[in-house]
Amino acid sequence: MSEKKFLMGNEALGRAALAAGAKALYGYPITPTSEVLHFWSKEAGSEKGKKDGLIFLQAEDEIGASFMMIGAVLAGVRSFTATGGPGHVLMQDAFSMAEAMRLPVVAYINQRGGPSTSTVIYSQSEVNLACFGGNGNGYRIVYSPATLQEMYDYGIKVFDTSWKYRFPTFLLGDGYLAKMMGEVDVYDPAERGIKVEPTEAYMLEKSRTRPLESIVPSPELHIRKGKDGTSYDCFRNCLNMEEETLAVNMEIKSAWDKVAPEIMEHEVFGDTSAEILIVAHGIVSASAKSAIAELAQQGIKTRLFRPITLRPFPEDALRRASQGAKKILVPESALGQLSRFVRDSLYGHASVPVIEYGRPSIGITPGEIERLVKENL
Amino acid sequence: MSKNSTINANDLKLAFPSCVRLESKPHLFCPGCGHPEVLKALGFAIDELGIQKDVAFGIDIGCSLLAWDYFNLDTIETHHGRTIPTMVGFKRANPKAVTIAYVGDGGAYAIGGGHLMNAAVRDEKIMIIVVNNATYGMTGGQEAPTTLPGMIMDTAPYGADQYYMKGPDMIRQVNPTAFVARGITSRQLALRDLMKEALEFHIAGKGMVFLEVLSPCTLNWKTMDRPDKTFAFLEGELSQAFPVKKY
Amino acid sequence: MLSIAKTMAYAAWLQGKKSVYVPYFSTEKRGGVSIAYAQFGDEEIAFPKFEKADLWVVMSQRAIDRIYDQLQPGTKVIVNSTLVHDISRLAAWNPHEIDAGNIAKLQLKKPRTFNMVLMGAMVALTPGLDKVSFSKALDKTFKEKYEKEPALQALNEKAFKIGYDLI
Repeated sequence: MSEKKFLMGNEALGRAALAAGAKALYGYPITPTSEVLHFWSKEAGSEKGKKDGLIFLQAEDEIGASFMMIGAVLAGVRSFTATGGPGHVLMQDAFSMAEAMRLPVVAYINQRGGPSTSTVIYSQSEVNLACFGGNGNGYRIVYSPATLQEMYDYGIKVFDTSWKYRFPTFLLGDGYLAKMMGEVDVYDPAERGIKVEPTEAYMLEKSRTRPLESIVPSPELHIRKGKDGTSYDCFRNCLNMEEETLAVNMEIKSAWDKVAPEIMEHEVFGDTSAEILIVAHGIVSASAKSAIAELAQQGIKTRLFRPITLRPFPEDALRRASQGAKKILVPESALGQLSRFVRDSLYGHASVPVIEYGRPSIGITPGEIERLVKENL
Repeated sequence: MSKNSTINANDLKLAFPSCVRLESKPHLFCPGCGHPEVLKALGFAIDELGIQKDVAFGIDIGCSLLAWDYFNLDTIETHHGRTIPTMVGFKRANPKAVTIAYVGDGGAYAIGGGHLMNAAVRDEKIMIIVVNNATYGMTGGQEAPTTLPGMIMDTAPYGADQYYMKGPDMIRQVNPTAFVARGITSRQLALRDLMKEALEFHIAGKGMVFLEVLSPCTLNWKTMDRPDKTFAFLEGELSQAFPVKKY
Repeated sequence: MLSIAKTMAYAAWLQGKKSVYVPYFSTEKRGGVSIAYAQFGDEEIAFPKFEKADLWVVMSQRAIDRIYDQLQPGTKVIVNSTLVHDISRLAAWNPHEIDAGNIAKLQLKKPRTFNMVLMGAMVALTPGLDKVSFSKALDKTFKEKYEKEPALQALNEKAFKIGYDLI
């Protein structure tokens, strides 16, 4: 069922969710992501959609939508939402609950201008929000796609990652990737050996394959036996004693630390002997690749380190990549959000100067990156 | 009870629903609180209909969260004001489940107001129980959407203003076919009947169920040592402002 | 205007080119300046926006000020002279003035075909896009519309040819 289509990024996301076996989208309109809702509402209302039991509801606001998604997840249904900007801000209430209780919520987030309403166009300024939003310690998985094809590839992957590891999992796109149109291969994941991670309800599931005790932090879970021996699963997030909340956080961290190495993804590109290292993510990394190729033709050697997961951030890989680098350039359409990860990773490991090129809420063309490199030779 | 008396199993059966978790006794609610009465009535109705295994019980943050220990039912405590959308999302994904959102007047009418009204307009097929005690109990007694004029509250130290919300009236305005009613904790048997009728409506898939129950908060009404004053207010001024009836 | 760029990009893709299109707009669907970026070529296109244009189609007076910085020596310029009257700033680029709106209304009796007039001119000015395959690609794009309104196909073809021949 592999087929090359000329698609908008948002449509690629919608098709990815379908291909991944998602069933329910609860959302609220917001530029630049609304087309995901348009696509899904059409699919859900079609003959095939109704037969397949697809669910779509435009909620009263993003808070409603994100908690509805939690409800569907509790029912064991693969569910997602899609938002950006101020909507992304509002959803942190629900995302915090999911983070605390290890609920596999999935969100497609397309970054736009910020802070506040700003422009509806583009930015990379929601990295902090996606990685560390809410009142927790940032235990969410965040993928940063760089191309239209990756919107589809990671649009599928977020579901399997989320249900396998039971952390909130986000695809952090942006307004350009969302709105641009180009070629996407909308393959059937089964044809590529991609495993669909089974779901299991948290509530009203009487025969489990995966015990809840291995997922939900123990102070938040209580399994009770009724008079006839039936199990009843009770979940809470309000705790009474400090020791309980300490335990919750440490259990989450412990589960995360165990699996983070297998979740991390990164990519390197360019001449390995180059002394100028560019660190960029998302569409800016695609722009950087273009610049690197152009510079190589002019005899100027540069290379790229691209984190694909922002959380967990591939720190060790960056440390290795920074060996032999005389300068690290960090272009991002934000101020200090990617570069913070870079400095955190390298502290105590390398004292390479890190040059920030922050252009908040505005695109960075390959030409700009070329000029940035030339200024730093 | 003296430590020498034996408790007859039948006595317990009459006193508590079978779906209640007896290990949670004595309950954590304040003496004279109305929540245990509401939960008991709900529990008896669940017993009678034989649906203990099918219930997804959602609770809010506030005194309703103390209901977490009460039942042997699959239970989810959500964020404040978000119980209704959570159970809406749950029910749409699992239409067969008996889906209950158990919230207070703050969670229903203030922070959760937008979710409630939209769910009502859409006739979402969930059962909502609002325990109305005219205060924010758990946080220490602040003014609530149903606080009556003149009541002294921590955030209305000179007396609450004249504005308050009449939930069932609002729901009926936007939804002509939902099951809408108000009960009162001081009439336990009537409350059990109401719960049973509400659950039957819900199980038959006829539409939204909205049940408000007037309930005392002896702590923040400052009547913990005066049950006579508790009931006078509950069945007097509160019932006059919030009529106990079917809508 | 957005749909001209989108259709161009899609048709170029159908012809086997690498192609990318992105719209650019502000919150109000009406009132802001509407810009679209399309790129096509034989190589992979990394970034949807660019700094200097090879071809620019001017649809409104306000666009001139907005886009002026993206001109470079050799940029080909098409102006929809139905709506744009003062092009003194663009003199150095020898813009092709095409009265697309009136051509569509008066010659073709269908105002909506002004898009096709402009597209014809654009294809004439774009190396690597050949008229015949492009036409076929357009037919594919509008297949559903043509099934509902068969007369539209002939009109569109005529409009396309008029624009193409004007260059």
